[in-house]
Amino acid sequence: MTRLYLSNDTSARAAGADRLAQAWAHVPDVELVRTSSRGAFFLEPLVERDRPGGRMAWPNAKPEDLPNILAWVGGTPVDDIPFLADQRRATFENFGITRPLSLEEYQRRGGLKGLERAVSLAPDAIVQELKRSQLRGRGGAAFPVWTKWQVAKDQAAEQKYVVANADEGDAGTYCDRMIMEGEPFRLIEGMLICAKAIGATRGYIYCRQEYPAAAQTLREALTIAERAGLLAVEGIPVHLDVFLGAGSYVCGEETALLESLEGRRGVVRAKPPYPALSGLYEKPTIVSNVLTFATVPSILARGGAWHASLGTDQSRGTMTLQVGGRVKQPGLVEIPFGATLAEVIERFGGGMAPGARFKAVQVGGPLGSLFPASGLDIPICYDAFARAGAILGHGGIVVYDDATDMLDLARHFMAFTADESCGKCTPCRIGSVRGREILEQLQAGRGRSGDLDLLADLSETMKAASLCALGQRAPYPVLTAIEHFPGEFRKN
Amino acid sequence: MSKPALAVLLTRHPRKPPNILQTLLEVQASLGFVPADALPEIARSLDVTEADVAGVLSYYPDLRTARTGRHLIRVCLGESCMANHGAKVLDRLRAHLKIEVGETTRDGRVTLERTYCVGTCPVGPSLVVDGDVIGRVRPDQIPALLEEYQ
Repeated sequence: MTRLYLSNDTSARAAGADRLAQAWAHVPDVELVRTSSRGAFFLEPLVERDRPGGRMAWPNAKPEDLPNILAWVGGTPVDDIPFLADQRRATFENFGITRPLSLEEYQRRGGLKGLERAVSLAPDAIVQELKRSQLRGRGGAAFPVWTKWQVAKDQAAEQKYVVANADEGDAGTYCDRMIMEGEPFRLIEGMLICAKAIGATRGYIYCRQEYPAAAQTLREALTIAERAGLLAVEGIPVHLDVFLGAGSYVCGEETALLESLEGRRGVVRAKPPYPALSGLYEKPTIVSNVLTFATVPSILARGGAWHASLGTDQSRGTMTLQVGGRVKQPGLVEIPFGATLAEVIERFGGGMAPGARFKAVQVGGPLGSLFPASGLDIPICYDAFARAGAILGHGGIVVYDDATDMLDLARHFMAFTADESCGKCTPCRIGSVRGREILEQLQAGRGRSGDLDLLADLSETMKAASLCALGQRAPYPVLTAIEHFPGEFRKN
Repeated sequence: MSKPALAVLLTRHPRKPPNILQTLLEVQASLGFVPADALPEIARSLDVTEADVAGVLSYYPDLRTARTGRHLIRVCLGESCMANHGAKVLDRLRAHLKIEVGETTRDGRVTLERTYCVGTCPVGPSLVVDGDVIGRVRPDQIPALLEEYQ
């Protein structure tokens, strides 16, 4: 029997993995094991086969490649793929290797060691370990994780909650989806460690509806974990449930998420109080991004000092980047903070796709700033990006080619905000519509003098007077597009 | 759905406190949409006002008040798909189906929608057809692709 490995990740399936699985389903003496994905999506569908010393890989496999694979013809050692070899995987170290729903394989590769250690520690000691790690929230806000845990832990409340923010709405990002589909037990383990630290007995994973496979995998993983007796801390059951969203981007903002979880319109709440003090049903609640929770098990297992030893001064640990757009090698890149944007695009992205020429890169999702070719020397860390008025967000890096119309892209950004604004703050609700209208007029050749001044003025109001990051950050991609490509906005 | 069937659905998961969004998602999962005339019954079953239910229903883009066509095509317009010129895929679909975003073909075959990111960015431009994600879509593949969905 020959065992072949093929990813079951949604992106691998969208690239044709299921066609291979169907074609090879009834081939005698071939066992196809569906795993998580390595994240080298430019190589998917990627077929692998065991060999002493490490797996062999057949990239971009087609159904007719099976005879070659069985005859060991044309493969590449996985360890020789530079895109993977040059990374420093921690949270994603098992990706592409294990079956997502095998608790046994998860444990064999070090899973549950963090939880075991946490169970042996007092809540204070767990929070101290997080403090030593200097882990900052990976969803986008980059808030020190330990301070939230400390606040929630210190509350005397009969009910506390742990909520995983799986509303990964930033376009260009998918690492949370990969975790939920590929190693759901890592997320569950991180949430259980948090539950133990703060004394929570209930938790939710708020998953966007665009991720049906992630929600399904998580539900199955929770059932398996429950049967294995994992969903308890010191004998007290911890109930974890998956809750589906309904297509609203702003529900990725933590207070809007809580409103939505309570079943209402996903409108942001004014802060303070912060959720750690008063969150879900006004109880102390830790809301953290999926990637943040998934980073916690390694911190407990290897120690906070290990995490703090990676990265730069203010940005410790690894950053999970999702390099995409018009690059040659789109995929997931986990490396310590500190490499420059240019290095990441060249070394991992492999430069531009054939025939494409670089125009700009956007970092941090739809609210992230655009960088021109002259701005790529910036190191990837929170402080350098903050100094540049930019954000790392959730690690999305989208490269645009020179066929991109910047005016049309700017209009798209404003239209997105107008579509997704929850409507609570006037600057965001009305400013985004007015911004879109101004750009549409420019596009139609009906621009008037002073339009760009008006847009700049509107942007300042949105930045200063919106409650959440959607209104505050929405002007940035538009303003940076105008700053770096002014010629494209002079249409009148 | 008949009135009694809706009633059964609404009493299946009595929950406290009432959760309007989850209830509407369950109704939609059964019926394919949330019928406007079901609002009073939904409100009663949750002990909330009709305005509360209508507010939630109108807020979320993925909650529908009308049945979709036999096939639902969602075109991703997230930044990564935009960078890969996914807007051209949408243009091709609009031209071929002769409908705009949010509309259904007159024969009820296809409803066309846009979405902001389905998380398959590295294999974009992406389309979601009846829940299946199709990656690396080229505009010239659209006519043949549509043939598969009658």
